[in-house]
Amino acid sequence: MTADKEKRRAISREAARRRRRVESDVFGDLSRLLPLQPSIRAHLDKPSVIRLTLSYIRMQALLKEAAGSGVQLGNILKFHHGLEAGEGFWFEFEKQKQEFTPLDETNMYLKILEGFLMVLSTAGDMIFLSDNVSKYMGLSQTELMGHNIFEYTHPCDHEEIRHNLRQTAELGFSLKRDFVMRIKSALTHRGRIGNLKSTTWKVLHCQGRVKLSVSSSSVSCLLLTCRPLPLSHTLLSTHTFTSQHSMDMRFTYCDQRVTSLLGYRPEELLGRSIYDLCHTLDTNCLNKNHLNLCLKSQSVSGQYRMLVRSGGYVWVETHSAVIPGVQTSRSRPNPSQPLCILSVTYVLSGVEEPSLQLSLDQTFQRYLR
Amino acid sequence: MSEQSAAAGRGGGDRAGSEPADDVLVKHESSDSLPSLMTPSLTSSMSFSMDMPRKRKGSTDNQDSKLALINDADMEDDQNGSDGEDQHVKIKCYREPHSQIEKRRRDKMNNLIDKLSAMIPTCNPMSRKLDKLTVLRMAVQHLKSLKGSASSFSEVSYKPSFLPDDELKHLVLKAADGFLFVVGCDRGKIVFVSESVTKILNYSRINTPSGVLLEQQSSTELIGQSLFDYIHPKDMGKVKEQLSASESHPRERLIDAKTGLQVQADLPIGASRLCSGARRSFFCRMKYNKIPVKEEKETQANTSKKKESQKYCTVHCTGYMRSWPTSQVGAEGEGEADKQDSSYFSCLVAVGRVHSHSAPQINGEIRVKPTEFVTRYAMDGKFTFVDQRATTILGYLPQELLGTSCYEYFHQDDLLHLADRHRKVLRSREKIETNSYKFKTKYGSFVTLQSQWFSFVNPWNKEVEYIVSTNTVISYDNSRTGRSGHKSEQSGNSKASEDCKKSLPVIPGISSASGTMIYAGSIGTQIANELLDFNKMNSSPSSGNVSPFSLVQDKSPQTLNQINSVPNGETSDMEIPGKSSSEGEPQGASFSGGDSLMGESSQLDLDSVVGASLNSLSNDEAAMAVIMSLLETDTNLGETVDFEEMHWSL
Repeated sequence: MTADKEKRRAISREAARRRRRVESDVFGDLSRLLPLQPSIRAHLDKPSVIRLTLSYIRMQALLKEAAGSGVQLGNILKFHHGLEAGEGFWFEFEKQKQEFTPLDETNMYLKILEGFLMVLSTAGDMIFLSDNVSKYMGLSQTELMGHNIFEYTHPCDHEEIRHNLRQTAELGFSLKRDFVMRIKSALTHRGRIGNLKSTTWKVLHCQGRVKLSVSSSSVSCLLLTCRPLPLSHTLLSTHTFTSQHSMDMRFTYCDQRVTSLLGYRPEELLGRSIYDLCHTLDTNCLNKNHLNLCLKSQSVSGQYRMLVRSGGYVWVETHSAVIPGVQTSRSRPNPSQPLCILSVTYVLSGVEEPSLQLSLDQTFQRYLR
Repeated sequence: MSEQSAAAGRGGGDRAGSEPADDVLVKHESSDSLPSLMTPSLTSSMSFSMDMPRKRKGSTDNQDSKLALINDADMEDDQNGSDGEDQHVKIKCYREPHSQIEKRRRDKMNNLIDKLSAMIPTCNPMSRKLDKLTVLRMAVQHLKSLKGSASSFSEVSYKPSFLPDDELKHLVLKAADGFLFVVGCDRGKIVFVSESVTKILNYSRINTPSGVLLEQQSSTELIGQSLFDYIHPKDMGKVKEQLSASESHPRERLIDAKTGLQVQADLPIGASRLCSGARRSFFCRMKYNKIPVKEEKETQANTSKKKESQKYCTVHCTGYMRSWPTSQVGAEGEGEADKQDSSYFSCLVAVGRVHSHSAPQINGEIRVKPTEFVTRYAMDGKFTFVDQRATTILGYLPQELLGTSCYEYFHQDDLLHLADRHRKVLRSREKIETNSYKFKTKYGSFVTLQSQWFSFVNPWNKEVEYIVSTNTVISYDNSRTGRSGHKSEQSGNSKASEDCKKSLPVIPGISSASGTMIYAGSIGTQIANELLDFNKMNSSPSSGNVSPFSLVQDKSPQTLNQINSVPNGETSDMEIPGKSSSEGEPQGASFSGGDSLMGESSQLDLDSVVGASLNSLSNDEAAMAVIMSLLETDTNLGETVDFEEMHWSL
């Protein structure tokens, strides 16, 4: 009896082995068809192979739809310098732009935008990520592609992300997207790639548009550029001013340029709420901005109107971040330091309708405060 | 066995092309596995080792479980101690039976296979579910067909990418809605611009009334022209400033987001170094042609210049300054000193993105139509902001309304229900709809409006900043004698209101404007003060503080009680001031009703007189006079200073 059993077991074992071999072979074939570096390919596990295959197929379908039949899908082997090496082409810039390959152009875009590209399906799968994503998230393109974005973003932001995804399928809504979310980053403070156990939240500003699909094999998706929001790169000019606010958006400081731009003296603004100074129709915009700041610590307002002291208004946009109160020394941040909001406001337009007095502050008789 | 354990030791996840490990895993996955071959201890140890956190490129599936576990471990902003994480992960592993782990892995694989089959055209029409191997084989076929006749990826020197580069470029541009441009710094000459500019700014249509220009052609047309030709005249100074290549420009500053301090700006650019140049980020308005498709028209910067035929849109330009030696024939730029500006070409390389009104409308924007206008009230109903559309509808310029109380303009009939709404809106975060009501225009006639009010609350400190009112015109030039048509009026009101209406404009000795002003203006103040007082009652026991408002406070329920009792003697179905029982707030003692306060203040005698006279409504004039004298002090106390400084919690 046992001998029989043993024999049968041996046969089935052999059969199983054969099946596994065949399956591995197929997986191997599949992975070889993917545009991966050999070193990466060797370490790929089976789910990853499928994941990346899915991404590849989806992207091809996307592009096919986009460009019609004229797209060259054939040879996707391109020489990829990487972002830094592309600079070598700069010298030729002045002469001809033929030297300036699409790759360089792409790299330049991504570098200038200081972000990475993300293509999201309506279910939230990150179908495609440009390979510089590793610079921002510390995780490589092949590690991330195909995964779902909800695995990597802050739970409190999921609703907002879902909202932005939901509207993809519905026509009649604006095709543009602009929102802020927090994503996991495996980078250490110094920008080095840490390990996954020590991820932090990184605030990303995502802007892009919806790409609707017609055919069934592809789905609508979002094309987004995602970039972090460092205020450290914000250069100031005569058309911007900085301000500091307490967490309820009352001014605690404002630099002098506000006077030439809006007519208020900085002293006049202290203690005033920014909601008083904006056009009523923009209340929602500012509200959303404020909420973003409270929750996510950084925000980009849309365009809104600030009332000019003597009448009328200007269009502005504000980039803000919550920071610990400004310290005099560079000691380590004190957690009990009161938070404050730092804002850089860009003035976008000239003074519109200067003779119009819309709010009480603009009238001759002002409230005494 | 040793092979298997070696595989486990190697950390064999689902590795393609590695048989021993596959043996181990496939055994678990396939239903006909022979678990008896493996001792339980080995099985369990392999499962655990498979699930232990491993650092390996290309595979985040183990990392997925890690991440999932880390999620469970309540990931905070700061880094967790790695040891703690490890422990936690280990503990989780031990608790979960490995059959669960296996099941999860199987499910995930099946899920992936399903997704794959959905994406492959040949798999799709199949009615029955295909098995894994077939799906994989079909995937291979599909990829091969996609690639066409391309060679394999086996060449080591190439780093392949998932997308052809021009596709990637298009995708980036599409996502960014942007175009790349390079302009020289000295004169703003456009050195390069990507062809996406034609789509974004519709430049291809400038000179082509009919027919379509090739995109390529248009963008090359732009090259060589000056950027300033395309920029709004008022922004030229701004752009010039940004283009100035001087690194030591005194106005340039950076802000470090971590410390909030201003730091030294850019690194000096060496002549031969092509390091990252100074960054530029600014907004400017550029010419663009609107395509016939309907877009959001309201309240955008680009619609401001209505008089001119040229439309502008706001473009956010971000980029870097670059300079390099010009490589002209015969010029030996590299050896020359930096002082020779002509040997260096400085330019700005930037991406321009069209910036539309981009606030996400999750809560719904206040959409305003032509017969609507928007106003803002302070807590007490005084106008603090008036949309300019109000002028065409009401006749007043904004500054005529600002600072005055809305109650001065409400028709007498409507005071009640509007006061009631006012009270409601201060206590609620929702949008409150009013019924139709009449608003007095500048010329004495009334327009019928209907409004939606809501209190805008500061998200941080929960204070009410102001009340936003979206007002819709129901009908213009409503006759004074027309019915107001709202249901909150009691039947007993009709005679009284008719009396009021008729006599309103003809009170001798008191111009109707001022009479109603003093009377009505206090309503708003009182309502706001109710809230103040109510909160005071709740927060502190001292209600007898010497505040100029104390008079008003005592009077307010009185007066309003009188108002309430005017239409009919009953107060039960009217909202008694302070008793907003719908919100479930506790009743302050001072608002328990008119009767209890009767005995508390010396003023009340007058009040009862007032009440009586109002009740009789025999003489409107007299009533007005009494109320005027009674509330005369109010006019001096109309400042909103006091209660704006108070902190309410709603």
